Formats: sequence, C-alpha cells, structure tokens
Amino acid sequence: MLKSILRSIFRGDPPSTQKGRSELVFYNLWLHIHPAKVRKEHLKLRHTGYLGFVSFFLLLILGATGLALMFYYHPYPPRAYQDMKDLQFVVFLGPFLRNMHRWAAQLLVVAVFLHLCRVFYAGAYKEPRQFNWVVGVLLLFLVLTLSFTGYLLPWDQKAFWAITVGTNIVASAPLVGPVVKVLLLGGHSLGIQALLRFYVLHVAVLPGLAAALVMVHLWRIRKDGGLAPSPSGPREPSAPPRETPIPSSPEKSYGLMGIVTGKPTFEVLVPEEEEAVFSYPYAFLREGAAFLATSAAVMALALLYNAPLSEVADPSKTPNPAKAPWYFLGVQELVSHSPALSGILLPSLLVLALLFLPYYDGNPSRRPRDRVLALSLFALVVLSYLVLLLIGLYFRGAGWAWVWPWAKGAGGGA
Amino acid sequence: MNRRSFLSLSTASAAALLATAGMGLAGFFRFLYPGVFYEPARRFKVGYPADFPPGQPVFLPTEKVYLFHDPAKGFSAASAVCTHLGCTVQWSERDRQFDCPCHGSVFAADGAVLRGPAPRPLTWLEVTLSKDGQLQINKNRPVTDAYHLLIPA
Repeated sequence: MLKSILRSIFRGDPPSTQKGRSELVFYNLWLHIHPAKVRKEHLKLRHTGYLGFVSFFLLLILGATGLALMFYYHPYPPRAYQDMKDLQFVVFLGPFLRNMHRWAAQLLVVAVFLHLCRVFYAGAYKEPRQFNWVVGVLLLFLVLTLSFTGYLLPWDQKAFWAITVGTNIVASAPLVGPVVKVLLLGGHSLGIQALLRFYVLHVAVLPGLAAALVMVHLWRIRKDGGLAPSPSGPREPSAPPRETPIPSSPEKSYGLMGIVTGKPTFEVLVPEEEEAVFSYPYAFLREGAAFLATSAAVMALALLYNAPLSEVADPSKTPNPAKAPWYFLGVQELVSHSPALSGILLPSLLVLALLFLPYYDGNPSRRPRDRVLALSLFALVVLSYLVLLLIGLYFRGAGWAWVWPWAKGAGGGA
Repeated sequence: MNRRSFLSLSTASAAALLATAGMGLAGFFRFLYPGVFYEPARRFKVGYPADFPPGQPVFLPTEKVYLFHDPAKGFSAASAVCTHLGCTVQWSERDRQFDCPCHGSVFAADGAVLRGPAPRPLTWLEVTLSKDGQLQINKNRPVTDAYHLLIPA
C-alpha cells in the first residue's frame, strides 16, 4: 500500500541507478529546472559564489516572513506604527520575524549587487546570455524598489522622512516628475493614501513582477546553455549543429516533435564523463547547504540585532539628520550637492548603461586581461558609489554637515 | 479578399487595438490619480491677530507654515517646506535663519538661500484678514518676501 502510494508520486526508478538519478530530476516539477548532470566546475564555490542561489533563497525567506508579518499589519497611520510596537512586544516571535525580514532584505541588496559584479567580472553577459543580463538588471531594480516601498511601512520618523526625500527626488524629474509623485503618493504629501499605495506595491504588485522575472531568469539559464564557463578557461564551444536541421522553407510543414527533440539553440552537450556529475546528489547537496547557510545567517542576525524603529512619524518635525536607507546614501550624498541632476539624471544614465551593456560592449572576449578598460570603468563606478555611500553613512551629521565619525555625537548609522 | 481591402482592414484593426490599449492605459492612470485629496486645506484660518504678538515667528505644524509678526510691517507667512526635497525647515532664533535638517540648506530670515543645495528661496504666502477677523493664509497664492499685512491699531 505505502509502496504503491509512493510509486504513484515518484514515478522514476530509485536513485540508485544512473537512469533513476536522471528521472528524479526531470519527473519532478520543482527540480526539473536543473539539468540531470552539471559540470563539476560550476559547483565550485569560487566559480559563482552561489550568489544567485543566495539571492533566490533570500527572496524565499522574505516571502515567508513577509507573509507572516502581514497577519499583524494594518496599512493605516498611526495604526501601522502601533502594529510595529505590537510585533516588538506582544506578538509571539514578532521581533524575530520582523528582524529576519529586515536583515534578509538588506542581505538581498548586498547579494544581488555582488551577483551583478560577479557576472560582470566573468563576462557572462556576453553572447548568448545578453538577454538574461537585462532580466537580471530589471530584477536588481525591482529589489531596490521593493526595499524602498517596504521602508515606509513601519511609519516611523526614519521611514517618513526617507520616503519624503525619495519621492521629492522623483518629483524633481523633468516634465512628468510632479504627476508621477501624485500617482505614487495618492496625494501631494506623504499620508494615508501613500501608505496604502506603498503597501499594495510592496506586498502584491512588485513581488508578483519579481516572481515572474525570477522564473524567466532561471529558465533562461538553461535555455542559454547553462552557466558560463570560467572566463580564463577555453572558449565556450558554439552550439553543435542539429543532426537533422529543421527546414524552414514555406512549403514544408512539420509537427512539434521536430522542434522539441532538437537541442535548444545554445544547449551545449555536457562533454566528457569526468567533467560532469549527476545533479542528484552533488548539486542538490550543495544547494541545500547554501540554503541552510543563508537561513542560518539571517536567523543569527535576527537574534543578535534588532531592526531599528524610531518615534512615530511626525510630518511637522524633520529629524536631524534625516538619512535614507544605507544603500541609498550614495544617492543622497549626490543629491545634497545638486538635486535633479544627480538624483535623477545620473542614476537613470547608470541604469540605462547597465541595461544595455551586452549590446554596446562589442568585445567578444571574456578573459579579464582582454577587458582591462571595461573592468576598470566598472570598478571606478562601484568604488565611487561606495565612497559616496560611506561619506553619507559616517561623515554626515546634523544639517548634513561634515563630521568625523569619531567626533562625539556624530550622526553615524542609517 | 483583395490586397486593398486586406490592407485597410489590417490598418483599421491595428488602429482599433492601439486606441483600446491607449484608452485602457489612460483610464488606468486616471484611476490612480485621486479624485479627492484628504490633506490639510490649502487656504486656512489661523486665529485672531491678537493671538500673535510681535516677536518670534510661530510655527503652525499641520500646515507647515511660519507666521511672522513684525511690529512695524505687520504679518507675513513663509512655507516651512524646504525647496530642495521637501523636509521641514527649522527657525533658529539665535542665528535668525532657517535650517534644513536633510541636506544642510540654510535660508535667511527673508527666505533667501544662504547655503546648500536648495534651488529657490522659501515660498512666502498671502496673509489676509477674513470676514470674521481671523488671519487667513492661502498656499495657492505665493507672494514676494516684501508682502506684509499691516493691521492698523
């Protein structure tokens, strides 16, 4: 009886045989995004840093903890703030869940950023993976928007003024700025409507978009021929010719089978036996370990550090200094010098430059020594942003005046 | 179907599709644009002139306005919203200036920018006497910093 139930769920052979190990992967809805066999090289920690996996796992943690928090949250001021206090003091596991959500969100910003740097360094955005890079940049943008909308929800002073500044940067955009601000806030200033809109964006619209794009992102890895091989290794073999090419003459009609059985455009056959291993158990064990490590890191942070919460939002009183979340501090530092130019123009140019990178970078080589210019430019942009961010974080005090971080009462922290 | 009718039919269909999509999009944005704003009124009464003796400016927190009463020139009102990114400026009686806590803009007592990223001086607002004798401020009517409402004693 038990055996027949199990057989009806898992149809493949037991995983003691090679056939069984392959069937375990492609007879399973949740696993079949994997290939049955993976290259050994791709399983090495130093090849990818598992950053894509870590980002994905952080998204799962954010979804689960976020869903839990929704049970106790009303997107209505000042109740929203009182709910934060409830989570802090009366809800069982409330502080732990809120801390996890907070730290997972911050780790996600770090993880997707490092993921982007890794893919850039490896030149993995080059043919045939151009489009997946674009999807990745869109996902980065979504992660930042999610973090921006989530930042308002606690409805404390920090949230209120960081979002006031943020939406006024949006409003300083030429032509459409003021209208976009009203659409975003549902009013001219931050209030009841704005909190509801940010909530809907944060819990429904943006997670839905992100889920859709994540699916495309993962699916395209397979369709683009798997992970890019190491940049210093030999060049990737181009797609092998089809055994029987599908004719594309207008007279010929053919069934689906002709297309389906052909290899996907860029699928590269996993070559010699010694270069590849079965996904089960080698890849799954490592992914499981990455998931456990990610969860453990988030839980440890949640146990050790409490998510900050300042006083309830007060529209008439701006705290001094008013700082954005730490990863936006580079933008805030720029904005303190000149508003529309650096708050809108520079970030927009940067986003466009990232989005279209695979299409204007004509250099076909993925070896670092052939890409000195691209790598140095990228490093320059990253480093200048980090410098601006650190200035905003540690060197700006009351009235955004310059202070040394070791000075008494310096405004450090985000 | 001949070529002419096919082309005109497809043009018409494409136009109809585009129009539908455009109307849907326009309707969506119009839907998102609020029909009513639940916000503090832009024209409001603040109290009787006698409630505001000359001296330090009075901060009206709900409306974010500083009300000045100069013994010689009369009443004037400045918006406390920083012209840079909308933080609330604070009046410093010691330095007789407005400080913005967000990005360090400093405004003189007449609203002019002294320092910082603010692109424009603070906005001065029209102050009038309403029929019931109360002072009334109108945010829809910006005025110059020379504007004052003098009430003869």
